[in-house]
Amino acid sequence: MAELCGIVGIGQTKHDSKRIDVSMAGLLREAAERALEDAELTWRDIDAVVIGKAPDLFEGVMMPELFLADALGGAYKPMLRVHTAGSVGGSTGIVAASLIQAGIHDRVLVAAFEKQSESNAMWALSIPMPFSVAVVAGAGGFFAPLVRGYMRRSGAPEDTGIRVAVKDRENALKNPYAHLHMEDISFDLVASSPMLWDPIRYLETCPSSDGACAMVLSSESLAAKAPTRPAWVHSTAMRSEPTMFSGRDQVMPQGILDNAEALYKKAGITNPRKEIDCAEMYVPFSWFEPMWCEGMLFAEPNEGWKMTYEGATAMDGDLPINMSGGVLSSNPIGASGLLRFAEAALQVRGQAGDHQVEGAKKALGHAYGGGSQYFSTWIVGSEKP
Amino acid sequence: MSEVEDSLSAPHRLAYTYKRSLGPVLGQFFTGLRDGRILGVRRADGTVMVPPKEYDPDTGEAIDEMVELADTGEVVSWAWVHEPRPSQPLDQAFAYALIRLDGADTPLLHAVDAGDESSMQTGMRVRARWSDEPVGAITDIACFEPVA
Repeated sequence: MAELCGIVGIGQTKHDSKRIDVSMAGLLREAAERALEDAELTWRDIDAVVIGKAPDLFEGVMMPELFLADALGGAYKPMLRVHTAGSVGGSTGIVAASLIQAGIHDRVLVAAFEKQSESNAMWALSIPMPFSVAVVAGAGGFFAPLVRGYMRRSGAPEDTGIRVAVKDRENALKNPYAHLHMEDISFDLVASSPMLWDPIRYLETCPSSDGACAMVLSSESLAAKAPTRPAWVHSTAMRSEPTMFSGRDQVMPQGILDNAEALYKKAGITNPRKEIDCAEMYVPFSWFEPMWCEGMLFAEPNEGWKMTYEGATAMDGDLPINMSGGVLSSNPIGASGLLRFAEAALQVRGQAGDHQVEGAKKALGHAYGGGSQYFSTWIVGSEKP
Repeated sequence: MSEVEDSLSAPHRLAYTYKRSLGPVLGQFFTGLRDGRILGVRRADGTVMVPPKEYDPDTGEAIDEMVELADTGEVVSWAWVHEPRPSQPLDQAFAYALIRLDGADTPLLHAVDAGDESSMQTGMRVRARWSDEPVGAITDIACFEPVA
């Protein structure tokens, strides 16, 4: 029987396009200190540190786990780094939780970040590597054909993505940490923004952000001493598959379907749409909301867009999605998955402020990365599993 | 490397200029160098560290007390470079040395222009030779030189 894992501290930075007031270490530190303060703990109370960020090429920092050990109080402690492309924040959270669940450590600090003002993700993703197929497109160019593929097979109305973009930016207005606070957000504003990678418009894409997120995870006995009600990890799942192979369904990869099935089975959930109260999903391009609603089995195949269209994913819908404003409103890449996981935990702890879903008891955190090939998810609850 | 001629090889050139925001501590250190001053930090146990760190490498506590140090110090350890490469700090033979500046508890790595290997010894006194065109980089100290 695995140990229970409780989330006792949550912290994040104000996400912004340029945090030139802090170093990379200082950015991560800001989130980590807030997580410790939330848990009323000090660096000494932490047994191990798990850090996540996107590819080293982004900032040109090789092995950030060495460079950032002092900023995370990691000296003389077990410290390890996780990397699974854009989903890394999620997998970092899962690795940290597994250290608690396996009974190896009692308190683990998990932290993830990206400082996009010091890097260039588009460049790092576009350089041709020897002996590999060159994408030469960055993320948007890679995902646009997948979105087009989804539109074709589902028959979704052309403006589905615009509706997602408006909804997430409206939610972000309620989140003081969100990067984008677009008071003038509207359907027309998104619809009239330039087409970047057909069918993806400029305002249907995520921003480039500096930001970090951190959490303190704790064993059951120590979580009992926490000053604030912990969120409990009910289930975690990770799946991966190659970027490209003949016959692969890139629009709806087998990996996410398998991930969803495993996640719900472990959590004892048979009807996810009904049993989950709200979800933070990795939606860097608006159309991925309906796509991942299907991937996470909230909707039947080719019907995810109906959830968006009918308002089911809005704050007052039956399954609010991306209450924080999501990746479309803040994207410090390495931290983005952990931010999804953290928002799920904030919701079930009742700490989400103006973007709180009333009475949320079970929440999903979801991240994906690479060419829709890494998936990491967790379900957290206000009650013990 | 072996001399197999039909093995696969391909060039891979990276070309992107990364940026850095230094933060409050390293920011002061590099600004100080531009102004001809060497700044260290005082840790909670009273010891002075240069180059400075934002967070104590031992305890992880934040450090923010800056301390100005002399530009003179003592060679703690060194290694002679007989034939400098183009990217190295001096054109003529020199020593890479760990130098404990007066007022500091930790040594700083830099170059010593001693002319000849026989002039180098552990414990010798050295002084910074400053660049004529400081830009806010560690190279604003061109090198150290022996104090007669």
